[in-house]
Order: sequence, then C-alpha cells, then structure tokens
Amino acid sequence: MLEIKDLKVSVEGKQILKGLNLTVKKGEVHAIMGPNGSGKSTLASVIAGKEDYTVDGGSITFNGKDMLELSPDERAKEGMFLAFQYPVEIPGVSTINFLKTAISEIRQYRGLPPMEAKDFLKILKEKQKVVEIEANLTGRSVNEGFSGGEKKRNEIFQMAMLEPSLAILDETDSGLDIDALRIVATGVNKLRTKENAFVVITHYQRLLEYIVPDFVHVLYQGRIVKSGTRELALELEGKGYDWIKKEFSELAV
Amino acid sequence: MELVTAKTNISRGALGEAEVIKNNSLLNKWIDEVGTRLTETGNIIKGVQEKAKENFTAVGLPTKKTEDFKYTNIRSYLQDDYAAKNGSASLTEGEIENLLTDEFVSVVLINGKYVPEYSRLKNLPKEVTIKSLFKALEEGNEVAIKQFNAGLEKTTNPMTMLNTALAGDGIFISIPENFSCPIPIQIANICTAEAKSFFNPRHLVYLHKNSELTLIESYHSVNHNGKTFTNSATEFIIEDNASLENYILQDEDILSQRNDVRHFTVNTGSHMNSVAISLNGGMVRNDPTIFINGENAEVHLNGLFIVKENCHTDNHTMVEHRAPNCMSNELYKGVIADNATGVFNGKILVYRDAQKTNAYQSNKNILMGDKSTINTKPQLEIYADDVRCTHGTTTGKLNEEALFYMRSRGLNEKLAKNILLQSFAKEVSNTIKNEAFRTLIEQKIEENIQ
Repeated sequence: MLEIKDLKVSVEGKQILKGLNLTVKKGEVHAIMGPNGSGKSTLASVIAGKEDYTVDGGSITFNGKDMLELSPDERAKEGMFLAFQYPVEIPGVSTINFLKTAISEIRQYRGLPPMEAKDFLKILKEKQKVVEIEANLTGRSVNEGFSGGEKKRNEIFQMAMLEPSLAILDETDSGLDIDALRIVATGVNKLRTKENAFVVITHYQRLLEYIVPDFVHVLYQGRIVKSGTRELALELEGKGYDWIKKEFSELAV
Repeated sequence: MELVTAKTNISRGALGEAEVIKNNSLLNKWIDEVGTRLTETGNIIKGVQEKAKENFTAVGLPTKKTEDFKYTNIRSYLQDDYAAKNGSASLTEGEIENLLTDEFVSVVLINGKYVPEYSRLKNLPKEVTIKSLFKALEEGNEVAIKQFNAGLEKTTNPMTMLNTALAGDGIFISIPENFSCPIPIQIANICTAEAKSFFNPRHLVYLHKNSELTLIESYHSVNHNGKTFTNSATEFIIEDNASLENYILQDEDILSQRNDVRHFTVNTGSHMNSVAISLNGGMVRNDPTIFINGENAEVHLNGLFIVKENCHTDNHTMVEHRAPNCMSNELYKGVIADNATGVFNGKILVYRDAQKTNAYQSNKNILMGDKSTINTKPQLEIYADDVRCTHGTTTGKLNEEALFYMRSRGLNEKLAKNILLQSFAKEVSNTIKNEAFRTLIEQKIEENIQ
C-alpha cells in the first residue's frame, strides 16, 4: 500500500531524513518511535505533502501512485489521512461543514455521486459514538477553544468520517491524559479493518499498550535503525533511547 | 492601551499654513459650474454654504501632509479638470431594476439626486418622511432646517466643507417619535455620469426619540464611461432612546472614486450599528465620525473591505466619547489582494467627562499578494481616568498551517483559501441583523473572493 524508498528530505538546507525505507501493507499497524529530533514529524508531514520541505531524493508511492507528484488534497483524495500533532484552529468553520465539504470533494475525485444529507447525518452520529465525541464539539468551529484532548479526539473523529485507507497518527498521544488516551486508542481500534493501515508515530510506548502494532520501527538521525515487533517497543521502554543513541552514534554527522 | 492624561489641544486636522494649497480659483470654477445651487436652495442654506466656502478657501484641498489624509492623496484622484455637477439622470428603469427588491422600501438616488419615479415606496409607512433635502428645506420642514449642517458646522475636514459649499440635493429621511419602521429603507445610490464629473450630494437622516430604523445604503455604477468623483456627506441624528441599524454596500466599478463622510450624533440611551461592506470601486474612502453626546448610548461600528487590482480603500473613523457611561465597539477587517492598498485609520477620543467609558477597537487584515499594501493606524486619545479602552491590529497572510490542514483533508487550495476568507469576512457580515441583506452580502463576498 505505502512504499517509501531511500527518502531524503531537508528543510532550509538541513538534512532531516537521510535515506528512509518503509513498507506498509493493508491491514497492518506500524509504530514509528524515536527520540526528539529524529525526524518523526518530518516524515508524517512529507507523506501528507507539506510544502515546507525539500525532497532531495527517494520516492513515496501509495497504491502504486507517485505521491510526490500530488498535492496534499490529492493525497487525501487517494485515501491518506494525517492526524496532526498540533491540530489547527479554524475559526468560523464548523467541523460538520468542513467534513461535508471534504467528503464531497473526495467523492467527486473518486467519481462517486454526492452523499445524501440523511446518509451524512447517519454516519455522523455513528462515528460520534465510535470516538465518544460530544455532538456540540462537532457543531463548533474546527478546534476553536478546544482542550488538547478534545482536539486529538476531533482528529480521530475526522479520520472516522473520511475513512482513509492509510492513516498516519503524528504523536496523537502527546498531551493526553490516560482517559483521553484510552478513548482515542479505542476509536482507532474500532476503525481497524483488514483493508486499511495505520502508521502510529509516538515518542512513548504507552500508546502502543492500547493500539497494538504489528511492527515497530526506531527512527534515529533520519533513518530507521531498528525494526521489530511489539517487543522492540517494550525494550525501548526499559532501556530508554540512550541505548539507541549509543549504538548508532556513529551515524551522527 | 495608551493612556493620555495631559490636557492638550484636541482639535483635529488642523493645517499649518505652509501645508495649505489654496485653491480659490478651483473652488470658484466648481461653484460656477453648479451655479443654480443658490437659487435652488434659496436663502435657507445660502448662509451655510457661504460660510463653508470661506472655511474651505482657508484650508484648501487636503494634501499628503494633511494628517487625516496621510494615506489617501485626494489630489491624485480629484484633479483640476473635474467639473462639479448636480445629479442628473439618463437611465431607464430596467437598468436599475435588479438593484432593488420589494423586501425593502427602495429609494433611488442617481448621482446623489432623489428620483421618486424610479423609487419603490408602496410599502413605505405613512409616518415616515422621505423627500429631497432641498425640498424639505424650501417647504420649511422644521427638523430639516434645524438639523441641516448642525453636526458638521464645526468640521475641520476640508472635504466636508467642500461638500457643504457645493451641496447637491440629496435625501431627507425622518422617523417620528415612538415609531419603529417595520421595513428597511434602502437607498440605492447609482452613479452614471460623464467622465470627470464631480458630485457633492448631501443627505440628512433624523430619528426622533424612541424610534427605530434599518437603513441600507447600496452603491452601484451603471453605464459609467469615465472616472468620476463623488464627495458625499450624510448627517445622522439619533435622538434619545432611538435605534439605527445602518448597512452599507459599496459595489461600484473601477471608474468610481468616492469620499463618503458620515456624521452620527448619538444621544442618551440610543443605539447604533453601522456596518460598511466595501467590495468594489476604484477609490473608496469611508469617513464616519460618531459623536456620543448622551449617557448610556451604545455604538457599534463595523467594516469589511476587500480591495483588488490597483484599487484603494480607506477607512478613516472617529469615535468621540463626549458623555459618560457609554460603550463603543469597532471592528474593521480587510482583505487586500493584487496591487491594491487598504487603509484603516481609526481613532477613539474620550473626553475628560466621559467617565466609565467602554471603548474597543480592532483591525485585522489579510494581505493576499506580495504587492498588496495595508496602512493601519489605530489611535486612542483618553482624557478621562476611569475608562476601559482597548485597541489592537493584526496583519498577516492567510494562515498557512490552516491551509495545509484543510488541504490534508481533501480540500483543494483554492477552496481552502475561499473558506478561510469567507470565515474571516463572516465576523463582520454576522453583525448585519437583517437576514435578507446579510444573505445578499454573503453572496457578494463569496463572488468577490474568487
């Protein structure tokens, strides 16, 4: 589904990703862990198409299509979704209207007829339940005045509504208390199917107790330096990132 | 917040002798061109006009050094070869039909002059007076005679003096005591004229005690074949406990240049809400002044300006708190694109006696292009010591983070920009209480941010 090959990315002349490889197949959940500054959020942003980054080399293909040729909205229409680490407030635009517009754009791109209003409302109610988000939050302007937990829950709610085939969760656990974390993780688990895939980017192992990954990768200094199963996350939890830093410090330039 | 306690000279727009461009000859030329003026108006306002002529002659047209006109060089728009005229009409009713609606009483002014035969007055309540201002003066209407120029007599604004000296016949509206006008009155201002025409229409709107009015002003161009300059002045008097909703849509073509002076006198316990939506026009200057003269009055002053191409829109506002226990709230938002220039120069002046004043002012701008310009100058001048006043201004590009966020959900860039701009504009359009007009404005905004 997603294939990243030898991806090299820089921002303002500074190289952040230095030849990253990652393959995600449908039905899989991948966790990407790593210390601060290792390039985790850059990876998420580049996959989603943020324009502040320069791709110096490598490729990102999604369902066989070259994503680097597509704009952020085209990537979303192809079935990608990024849950933001810092969701943006959009005053004056209600989440419901925002999602209505997004769904209509995505369906048009895929050659599907517009969604009937009653179908939209039905799905809306259903998904609100899945992610345990209050209806009054979705009626309000996108993320405006939301608490950190409400913003993250709104990300998962939008993901539920848009039904992407690949969702990238960028440090969705940061700033969440244990209850909010559980709600977010439960939402993700309910949305897992054999047809979709998740890339969960996180600093801590904590989230992975709730969203159990099939694969865990350690990102350090712009490369994936270790890949394994869930046990790798536990090992990191026990030993800390210093262990990785020591082992791979020769990568430092 | 800026707190000024020292007593200083608070006269505005004072001009140093050296800065004055005397243009007696220009004024005389213009006065000759509207020679019928004095016979039309008779002796009633002759004195007023002669005095304004004297005042204007002493100061002349504003220059770039005139502080209140710092960002709008009037002389680059109103040039010597402009010919002063009074309104004249050569339009067919069909050409203006789509500008009117039966949801309002529509009063048609062509180049500032009232044209009853094109107006739609069938739903006008009999209690309300609408007629030509000069006719009201000639007929000896007491309100018109007493109020004409009362608010503007001491103006220091040269353009207002010029308007008074050259005053062309405009509209007079009077709402009687204890009467709430059940239907909005729309003044449809249509500009249709020869190139280089110069108009100075003069209007008067009077709300007696405890009355209510929604007044919509819309500005359009029809069959415009060259640049024109309109220098209009309107006096609004809102008596005790009366309420005025004043909505303005400026939607003229690029050949139109206008300086709109609005002077509001707000008395005890009264309420006003003025919302100016400036969407099109080659040069637009809005110059509202509000005198809050009585206690417990509430003033809302809002504006949205969208400026494109090489156009120029200036909002020069003045709110004078002259009485205690009043509230004013001002919000102006600008979207400036292409090579256009926007101006916000707003001042709140709180007199020494105006204790317990609550005054707020906010200006927010979005610059769309690399060559778009905004000049913003918020000012507070406070002589009372027990007040609550804030002002602030922000200018920036469209929020890139928000754009990326929206695009990452499947909205293309153009759509995302439009939605952001519309929500930016909505904060102002939402202050329009009349639903029919608000809907029209929202459509117009949508068309203008494409």
